[in-house]
Amino acid sequence: MKTFNTMLKTEIKLSLRGMDMFIFAICMPIIVLVMLGIIYGNKPAFAGADYTFLEQSFGAIATIAICAGGFMGLPLVVSDYRSKHILKRFKVTPIKPTIILLVQVTIYALYSLVSLITLLTVATIFFKFRIQGSISQFIIGWLLVMVSMFSIGMMVGGISKNSKTAGIAASLLYFPMLIFSGATLPYEVMPLAMQKTVDILPLTQGIKILKSSTLGLPTVSIIFPICILAIITVICSTVAIKFFKWE
Amino acid sequence: MEDIIKVENLSKSYGELIAVNDLSFSVKKGTVFGLLGANGAGKSTTIECVLGTKTFDTGTVWILGLSPKANRKELFENIGVQFQEANYQENIRVEELCEVTASFYKNPADYRKLLLEFGIADKNKALVKELSGGQKQRLFIILALIPNPQVLFLDELTTGLDARARRDVWQILQDLKNQGLTILLTSHFMDEVEVLCNKISILKKGNIVFHGTVKEAIENSPYAKLEDAYLWYTDEEVSENENL
Repeated sequence: MKTFNTMLKTEIKLSLRGMDMFIFAICMPIIVLVMLGIIYGNKPAFAGADYTFLEQSFGAIATIAICAGGFMGLPLVVSDYRSKHILKRFKVTPIKPTIILLVQVTIYALYSLVSLITLLTVATIFFKFRIQGSISQFIIGWLLVMVSMFSIGMMVGGISKNSKTAGIAASLLYFPMLIFSGATLPYEVMPLAMQKTVDILPLTQGIKILKSSTLGLPTVSIIFPICILAIITVICSTVAIKFFKWE
Repeated sequence: MEDIIKVENLSKSYGELIAVNDLSFSVKKGTVFGLLGANGAGKSTTIECVLGTKTFDTGTVWILGLSPKANRKELFENIGVQFQEANYQENIRVEELCEVTASFYKNPADYRKLLLEFGIADKNKALVKELSGGQKQRLFIILALIPNPQVLFLDELTTGLDARARRDVWQILQDLKNQGLTILLTSHFMDEVEVLCNKISILKKGNIVFHGTVKEAIENSPYAKLEDAYLWYTDEEVSENENL
């Protein structure tokens, strides 16, 4: 526990000194929220809908920080520590690799949480946002999305050969999911054919869960996405831990 | 006296290249063992195989009676390591690096005292990347001492240090040795080896060409100084040319 706390404290400081996560995980979601708020105002999502466009998009925007942490932060920091031989130095100490991963996961979870809280605050105050469905369901869904996306990132960071491979893999995950899963560009404005295509992205499924709980839609429709995310989590975290490379 | 480090028939090759060939040696408690050899002779590979950061092809390695592979967590509670290249997080400060390192161990040494002892206490708040070469080198020896180790591995410990700092480091290591610390080091400086090492092995292309005390190394060569003897062991062709 002492190791975990000390490492967490130091790694948070290091991460804040780097600034990029602050920009991509904290500032960027707010910018997207405010832009959608200004463009669509409090208009209903479609004619006759009993929720606004912004309420419909909230679940998606709440995953931007998760994306930044899971697909950029996590894989890059782990592979960077490997290529700088920091993990090699850790290997000749009693520390367990799971602690190193857990510290990083905690940091990005904290970023995601801070982002969620600031988004909720801004949306509630300026855009009369409220969660119409169950709050507990939203929280559980948000946690599931986070855990599953982070497990993908941990796997990529844990097994990629060097920082270059990790960087490419991270970009291949981050940009498509950020743009096409509905996190920034709303799913609803996409043509039907495009919607069908982006449905294969895990994050699209995750956003469906969040959307359903924000808007109070029937739970039946999200059983499939929940299963998909659970399977991803199990597979990716097993691979990450089993095939973790120090060098 | 008991063997603290025991290496038997260690071999390691990278593809075609044989880096270490059938190496055996042991280091007794409270002694300093020096691995000497030119760059690329296999010193660092040997250290890394012994520590388990590199896998070796054949042979056995025991440190404090434990296997570095199978008993990693237990063993590294009591081992300090200083690698040749510095490895630390980009924006980390000296005291943060020390604090994190100390948090890995059950009974760590007081790193503030070590920083004082090594004369870099005033760099406490500085970024590690902004330290001079010599200051970094001292910091990495400190990190290796934070575990309060029973065994210390030092890969080129005084490279980059000025004359005064080297003497200071030697003195500190002598004191630790007298308290029972066992040290395995590599070095390119023969004066350092003469001061510190009880036993040495000279490596040439992965093979041990000499094993014994500094005195024996000199006696078994046609020279009177260790540096000449060392060059004679590692670079016979050149010496022969010189004799012509």
